[in-house]
Amino acid sequence: MNDDPEQLDRHVDDLLHDRKPERTPLSDEDALRARQTAAMLRAAKPGAGLPSKEFLERMQGSIGGWVGEQSARPQPAARPSRRSLLLTGAAGIAAGVAAAVGVERLVPKPVEPGPTQALVEKGAWKPVKALADLPQGTPVAFRSGAIEGFLIRQGDEVKGLSAVCTHMGCILNFSKFRNQFECPCHGATFEITGRPTDQYDTPLPRLPLLQVRIERGQVEVYSV
Amino acid sequence: MREGKTSGAAVSRANLVSLPHADPPHGQDHLTWAYQTHVTAIYQYIYSRVGNRPDAEDLTAQVFMKAISGMRNDVSVPELRSWLYRVAQTTLADHWREYYAEGAGELDEDVTRPPAPRENPEAVHRVDALLATLPESYRRVLELRFLRGYSVRETAQELSLSEANVKVLQFRALNRAGRERGRMS
Repeated sequence: MNDDPEQLDRHVDDLLHDRKPERTPLSDEDALRARQTAAMLRAAKPGAGLPSKEFLERMQGSIGGWVGEQSARPQPAARPSRRSLLLTGAAGIAAGVAAAVGVERLVPKPVEPGPTQALVEKGAWKPVKALADLPQGTPVAFRSGAIEGFLIRQGDEVKGLSAVCTHMGCILNFSKFRNQFECPCHGATFEITGRPTDQYDTPLPRLPLLQVRIERGQVEVYSV
Repeated sequence: MREGKTSGAAVSRANLVSLPHADPPHGQDHLTWAYQTHVTAIYQYIYSRVGNRPDAEDLTAQVFMKAISGMRNDVSVPELRSWLYRVAQTTLADHWREYYAEGAGELDEDVTRPPAPRENPEAVHRVDALLATLPESYRRVLELRFLRGYSVRETAQELSLSEANVKVLQFRALNRAGRERGRMS
């Protein structure tokens, strides 16, 4: 069956109302790509794409059950897969970051990251922005290798803050209007200094500072 | 411009999900906790590919069920994360294949490399880049329909077109954008 505007619009309308679209046999690759593009556009709408509280709670229960069932079974022997070998470099740094910000560590050890704690041990200085491109006092997001962060220029000094929320590891946005970092996942907020603002019964760790230097007009971040 | 889109104002206090544990627990509970911390990121990842809540919820649940039953218990967190994304990618490919019967085989990303856990803001960047490749009329119709959530009728009024013309314009715009996206990836 050939794709047509009416049929595609029914699909779009389902997405816009968060309904499961009807299953329609598609004529060609273009028809499929049009729908995948529609999904991508739909997800870019403000407020779309976040799981509901009910769903998260349901998943937390289910995961507990599935892990329990799996643990009851005999375990396959641990072996390094090609994938894990390929990932060793990135994995190491990701683990380092996760441990330092207090999320996602498998060996529990309480860490209260101080503002000077180094996130990266065996990295290199990588240029991320020109100093001249940074506005005064407004955080600018960047990504370099495994590090996502914000650069904040004060005079001719630049401070780097990790952009990973210390609640559950989502990436923070900066709101100019409210002058704070905001987590798109569960709404945690941090002051521009990286200090968490209330919200949770257990206070969140602050955002770790990144190692930043300025070399010949380029802001460099120590990263992997 | 962008900060309005994902502002904290949209996320009320009532939606705050309590932290599972301030200090992660040990053993099996700890593995459970490690999986739980990835639910939101995987959901967002899937949502940006399917664009609706019921499918995103079903597929997210499938991903965790498959991932947990296929993974050893002594997995490290980076392994667990990349494994989850890999399972998510194959689950999505199966979804499109099954949903539309044919032609959906290929994976549009390198499955050996897990994407960053920043799906939503990244989706916004990708959408901006994609829209920028389109002619003005195509960009307008997609912005009104998807980013502003206008109905076909409202879009028709805004653009001074008939509703049938809006649907045709939307059809051409999505097909063109789909091809551009294929070129960009």
